[in-house]
Amino acid sequence: MNKKWSGLLSLILSIGMLAACGANAPSSAPSGTSSGSSSGAPAKQPAAQPEAPKGNAKLKIAVVPKLIGIPYFNASERGAKKAGEELGVDVIYTGPTQADAAQQVKVIEDLIAQKVDVIAVAPNDPASLTPVLKKAKEQGIRVIDWDTPADQSLVEYSVHQIDDEVYGRHVTDLLVEKMGTDSAQIAVLTGGLSAANLNTWIDWATKQAQEKYPNLKFVGDKIASDEKQQVAYQKTLDLIKANPDVKGIMAFSTPAPLGAAQAVQEKGLQDKIAVVGTALPTDSKPFLDDGSLDVATLWDPEKLGYLAVAVAKDLVEGKKLTDGQDVPGVGKIQVKSDGKTIIMGPPTDFTKENAGDYKF
Amino acid sequence: MVRSFSKEAVLGMIFAVLFALMALCAPGFLDAYNLGNMMFQLPELGILALAMMVVIISAGIDLSLTFTAALSGVVIALLLSKGSPILVAVLAGVAAAALCGLLNGFFVAVIGVSPILVTLGSMVLFEGLILGITKGNAISGFPDAFAVIGNGSIASVPVPILNFFAIALCTSILLNKTKWGRCVFMVGSNPLATLFSGINTRRVLLRVYLFSALLASVASIIMISRYNSAKVDLGSSYLLQSVAAAVLGGTEIAGGYGKVMGTVFAVGVFQVLSNGLNLLGVPRTVVDMMMGLILILVLVLNFLSAKARQKRVAERGVI
Repeated sequence: MNKKWSGLLSLILSIGMLAACGANAPSSAPSGTSSGSSSGAPAKQPAAQPEAPKGNAKLKIAVVPKLIGIPYFNASERGAKKAGEELGVDVIYTGPTQADAAQQVKVIEDLIAQKVDVIAVAPNDPASLTPVLKKAKEQGIRVIDWDTPADQSLVEYSVHQIDDEVYGRHVTDLLVEKMGTDSAQIAVLTGGLSAANLNTWIDWATKQAQEKYPNLKFVGDKIASDEKQQVAYQKTLDLIKANPDVKGIMAFSTPAPLGAAQAVQEKGLQDKIAVVGTALPTDSKPFLDDGSLDVATLWDPEKLGYLAVAVAKDLVEGKKLTDGQDVPGVGKIQVKSDGKTIIMGPPTDFTKENAGDYKF
Repeated sequence: MVRSFSKEAVLGMIFAVLFALMALCAPGFLDAYNLGNMMFQLPELGILALAMMVVIISAGIDLSLTFTAALSGVVIALLLSKGSPILVAVLAGVAAAALCGLLNGFFVAVIGVSPILVTLGSMVLFEGLILGITKGNAISGFPDAFAVIGNGSIASVPVPILNFFAIALCTSILLNKTKWGRCVFMVGSNPLATLFSGINTRRVLLRVYLFSALLASVASIIMISRYNSAKVDLGSSYLLQSVAAAVLGGTEIAGGYGKVMGTVFAVGVFQVLSNGLNLLGVPRTVVDMMMGLILILVLVLNFLSAKARQKRVAERGVI
């Protein structure tokens, strides 16, 4: 038994010593940097001058998605990397392999240790990032968010893909256009009843219907599909059966439009029921082709990744972004009156004709 | 005579070598910030791995571990955000976890259902419970004093790592110095023989699951304090990692053997590897692959050395 105790004790002691000597002077700069890190060893100044000009060293911008390895965030990675090349900055694109807040926090902590200049994050759970983003700011790292807002008191810019109001109203307009009439029964399919972004869009879509198309009649409440195509498919079949007069379905969350279209396809109702929703073009292409899905509308995640990097670069260089500014590679952006919220632009519609042109 | 090293000692050496390697290669690995960083990151998985280790020693497994933690965390978060005193909230969270543990323990020990089935069921049950309570939303907004548990330091040593070492010490004492501890090993090696030796195996197993749930609750307190928020998938990525860490630490997956030191070193190996490779800018997917490879490598090594030892013993027996 004695051996084990001495082992445990020595481990505690050694870690204690490491902590102590680390706190005193982190002078032992590692001599050889590995081939993996390209731009040489970063200056080892422990939080002395957070806003020091970086001289001619390349800016290091870390872009953290909610998770890596899904088509949406692979597309934004391409955009972010492209921006890195075109704008001459180092882009580190890394994130958790599961959409777990704990993992995402660790990724950011390790990025702070790498002394990046900016962290642009798409939070899984905004509240859980508040402590770590505070830590980043204490170390002199600038923080922005993209895709999903983080704690607004911490970020200097908040890059949104879309204006929620414009997007919601746009979906209603599209549905009316595709139905060819503004006097009809329609239904709303959603990913989950508690998803804040989906609910905001649905509220605006409903508002647009009330204000502009008073003859649109909503059948029942919004239908939850648990973010699953299979569930959306089943619920749509039930919906069509219970309400044979339904002429239009608007579906929110990326799997929902596919499930709805699948049901319409199976029943051969392509010409009777219009389906409009928020889906990725590659997923929706087969349904767009035979008309079961009339149009998918979303934004281009590749451009979103590009914009996040461009905004981060301007932030460090002290360039103020202005409303209506033209960002090369992205287009005209909107800056809201708070000077912080940036909106990438209007939604992109994917139809039978153009869905093949996209890679996400 | 050739002196063979124990599994734990080998792992300790692997840990030391990896640490030295990262210190040489990874820029900023030895910075004060990064060392502190690792000491903040390690305890969550460390405590969960110790909990898992004890269950595995008893020839079981606890798949509901992270959801027990999440449930306990959500209870604490709910109470804190409603303005309850910290102590009350924490006690309620620990009580919730204890109930989860007793539920698992009841089905495994008293009814006798296989642990993997029971905890698979309770995992889904707890997840459903949390979803019912939170509707999938995160609960946040805790008093500043609570943040010290996960984010504070005492004399520049992070509080979570102190907690972790205290827990490791307690677990080690409980396993090695108490009657219950010895019974856990015995139940893990041969439950029937243990029962016939006049030991109440039901009570032993019940306490195993209670113990693991309590540790899960401690881990969850650290997590929600560190992340300032509780959610249904809080720490869900730790579930299989905790099994991996326990097994890498030399714990016998069929039960009957396992050491606290081994698990501590294993968690250290994971931590140093993950942090060091991140600093080197290695993609996360590759980091995951390397962890898997190291796990397999060490297990094969352990297996071969155990076989060699058996052979030596057999030969000696013949002579």
